[in-house]
Amino acid sequence: MFISAESLCKSYGSGDGKNDVLKNVDISLEKGHIGVILGPSGSGKSTLMNMIGGVDRVDSGSIIVDNDNVAGFDDDALTEYRRKNVGFIFQFYNLVPNLTVSENIEVCANISDSPLRLNEILSIVGLEDKKNRFPRELSGGEQQRVAVARAIVKNPKLLLCDEPTGALDFETSRDVLSLLQKINREFGTTILMITHNIAIGDMAHVVYKLRSGEITEVIRNDEIIPAERIEW
Amino acid sequence: MVLNKRIFRMMRENFGRYTGIILLIFFASFTLVVMGGIGQNLGRLLTSFAENNRQEDISFTTDYPISDIGEIERELGLSMEDFISMDVELSQSQTLRLISPNQKINIPALNEGQDLSSSGQILLENLYAEANGYLPGSTIEINGKTFTVTGLISLPNYIYPLKNPFDILVSYSNFGVGIVGREDMEASGGYLRGYTVRFDDSNTSINQQAVILRERLENEGVNISDWIDNRNNKRMSVPWASVTGMQSMSIPIPIAMFLLCCIIVGIMNRRIIRAESVIIGTFYAQGYRRRELVRHYMVIPVLLPAIGGLSGVLLALPCLSPGVNAMLMYYNVPFTGIEWNVLHIALGVLLPIILMGVSSYFIIRRQLSQTPMELMKGDKHKTKVNALERVVNLEKFKFNTKYKLREQMRSISRLLFLLFGIMGASALMMLGFTIQNSLNHVFSSSTEGTYDFAYEYSFRQWHYGTAPEDAEVFSAEKFYPEGNEIMEFYVTGVQSDSEMIFLEDLNGNPLSVNQTIITRPLAERLKVGAGDTVSVIGKRDGKTYDFMIDAVSGTQAGQFIFMPIAELNIKLGLPKDAHIGYWSNIRLDIPGDQLSGMKSLEDVENAASEFMGPMLSAIIAMTASACIIGLIIIFLVTSLIIEESKKTISLFKIFGYKKKEVRSLVLGGTVYIVVVGFLLGIPLMALSMGGIYGYLGEQINMVLPVIVNPLYIIICFAAILLTYEVSKMMCARKVDRVAMSEALKSNAE
Ligand SMILES: Nc1ncnc2c1ncn2[C@@H]1O[C@H](COP(=O)(O)OP(=O)(O)O)[C@@H](O)[C@H]1O
Ligand SMILES: [Mg+2]
Repeated sequence: MFISAESLCKSYGSGDGKNDVLKNVDISLEKGHIGVILGPSGSGKSTLMNMIGGVDRVDSGSIIVDNDNVAGFDDDALTEYRRKNVGFIFQFYNLVPNLTVSENIEVCANISDSPLRLNEILSIVGLEDKKNRFPRELSGGEQQRVAVARAIVKNPKLLLCDEPTGALDFETSRDVLSLLQKINREFGTTILMITHNIAIGDMAHVVYKLRSGEITEVIRNDEIIPAERIEW
Repeated sequence: MVLNKRIFRMMRENFGRYTGIILLIFFASFTLVVMGGIGQNLGRLLTSFAENNRQEDISFTTDYPISDIGEIERELGLSMEDFISMDVELSQSQTLRLISPNQKINIPALNEGQDLSSSGQILLENLYAEANGYLPGSTIEINGKTFTVTGLISLPNYIYPLKNPFDILVSYSNFGVGIVGREDMEASGGYLRGYTVRFDDSNTSINQQAVILRERLENEGVNISDWIDNRNNKRMSVPWASVTGMQSMSIPIPIAMFLLCCIIVGIMNRRIIRAESVIIGTFYAQGYRRRELVRHYMVIPVLLPAIGGLSGVLLALPCLSPGVNAMLMYYNVPFTGIEWNVLHIALGVLLPIILMGVSSYFIIRRQLSQTPMELMKGDKHKTKVNALERVVNLEKFKFNTKYKLREQMRSISRLLFLLFGIMGASALMMLGFTIQNSLNHVFSSSTEGTYDFAYEYSFRQWHYGTAPEDAEVFSAEKFYPEGNEIMEFYVTGVQSDSEMIFLEDLNGNPLSVNQTIITRPLAERLKVGAGDTVSVIGKRDGKTYDFMIDAVSGTQAGQFIFMPIAELNIKLGLPKDAHIGYWSNIRLDIPGDQLSGMKSLEDVENAASEFMGPMLSAIIAMTASACIIGLIIIFLVTSLIIEESKKTISLFKIFGYKKKEVRSLVLGGTVYIVVVGFLLGIPLMALSMGGIYGYLGEQINMVLPVIVNPLYIIICFAAILLTYEVSKMMCARKVDRVAMSEALKSNAE
């Protein structure tokens, strides 16, 4: 297993206001697979992903990623872990507004020992002609593709996508999803994706359904549907 | 209004920034009131002392007494009083000038002790007495006779107690003035006889009246020496240079700082309103009027300058008296107390409020003029890219550099604030050093380089013949350009084989002294060069003289024309061997009543180092304040940058940037602007210094060159960089504290 998280617990607050966000969650994902976490708003999806990505800490439980126990890392080790292994994609793109497209991609290339070439990345995401634009001058879908480019430029082992299509319309969403699928195929990048759109589950190897901090169902797909064919 | 509760919250949240702005305003108002107040009070003390104690307009010495003083006074409408004086050497390096008591002109002000009541008593000029430990009651040995100090005084004609009226620096350990009874001096003999004159008619120019007086005296056959009017007498004119200097700095510096504060407050206003545009839109929609909201947002832009200005003025008030008294360590004027200038105080408090209030009002009004819909839709400016960002091509740079530069360009007003702020702070810092350097240069070039002798003896009357061994003769006469009598200068005749004077051309090559050479400062003021002819008026006889200039010398020693002594004598209609003084390497034994002055170059050097001591602390104070201003400015900008880039900082952290890397990216960019601002500060400083010097130089008829010393530039640069590092340290924690959740919060941009 590439990712295997066991008995994850996380709560915020204390006493009466204590909010148990994750209750004994187990999930795992094989190397090179796409995993989807499905669940309604507030169910703890982002919290779970943040812990796997090493930006938040567990209360208890273990998270093994590529044979390392991320849950046991200190701050420096977590930084190193995110730097080397993890790419992030967010619902609202989170591009740096005063950097151009290529500069936004450089943000991550800059801390990688062997980043992919900028032109190569731009052609993968189809933005060669827009590399000197500022984010504000791009459509939502284009911005998300810049975010994808930024996440994969350092060729991470793990790509974490928190509702990557949450702010996009249907057509654009499908473009972005097929881009992710292409990356998964070409680079063998393991992808963990959050969504509350059940249809997206069809392009994943495994789907975890989360409700109120508990895994309610695990679906393993034998047949992976190409993203272009997903409908909703 | 409920809204006003938010003000306290905003104050708390922006505590560091608001404190910085308040400090800047505080500093500006303080400077305005203290510097303006010192200048004004010193001016007032000088004027009232000159009036109340009847400062002389003219003084001169003669060989024989003038018999018809009463008649002259009546006819020409003036007061004239005779005095006798003699210089006694108390030690190798200390001269005390004794003067007989006056009743009509230059009346001493008794600061401490008692007036003279009998023979064997002396009144001492305050600064000399203090420097040498004489108190009323102590005794002083003069020419073998013991005198008792009965009182300490200020003298209207020795406010800046220079030994010779053309010196620059006072030295209290080398020279002092005392008043003793006439009989005490007459007993020992060897004294000078002189007269002081004060004109009754203050409407006619002193020059015109002086010419009439001089004509009349010369017609009577009076042999006049050492004729000097009080505008050319540095003992009375130098203090006015301080007054002017203080007053000319007291307005521009504070105004520049107030304007800087306007920019930064403007930036912050805009930021706050943009960040709150949704709330504002909602308030509008609920029926709040724009006036009410404008008033709400105006509270802070008025409160900050009010606090800063008020506290600056309040702290300035108790500092004014010590400030004036510090000036009185150089100038001997009776201290009769401080007068407040209501205008300065009002300006110190109101000017920042008005400037900041008005500028904020327009910014706020403009921001609030959007429709409620526009406002509620949120921040349309946040991600806007400005023209500068769009135009600049940064492709060649490494990412880190690119990012840092982009961050600086994010807001043009912020960029200008930082640039101008650093320019001003650097200029201020270098100003202190440059003043020191220029003065140092003036002092040292008046002793080193040009002259190679130890003593200069000036006679009261022309002498004839040759110089004693180890000495050279020189002659000198005062001239001025027509219509500019204040710009007096000497034409000095030197031996054509002189070994005591060395002049170099503008390129540093030695010049033969067997020709007519003009010094560079004088050449510049007269606007002449080699080959030109200078036409000037002789001070003594009012006739026009022409001098054909052979060469210009690069020396900064002062305003002179040097020429062979024989040629000058012929021009002046004197025998070839006439001379007015000796330059000598050894002490000469010349009776005191023949001399109008004796200058020891060693004393001049001592005076320079004595002067530079207190000067140094002033420079350190200036540099330190410049550093603090710079620190506040960089801190303000950096903290704004951090706040504006919170999300980006958070992203950097998520992506795995290390603490140090994030700090360097976020805090490192300002250094470019700091360096550029510093570099631009150099010409700014040179220009403003040139302006001030030009003005002051005219006032005291002296050339003050602006000399920028690379060493000092480097020191100031290091100080600015250090300041920058300190501000970085102050802000590093702010960067560290930005949480990763800042970017993870799933709210729309
Ligand atoms: N930093 C936090 N402090 C307190 N509560 C939090 C924090 N982050 C998340 N929560 C709470 O945890 C729960 C799950 O949040 P989240 O993981 O963001 O859900 P999802 O991504 O599934 O919408 C929510 O109730 C949310 O309020
Ligand atoms: Mg979420």
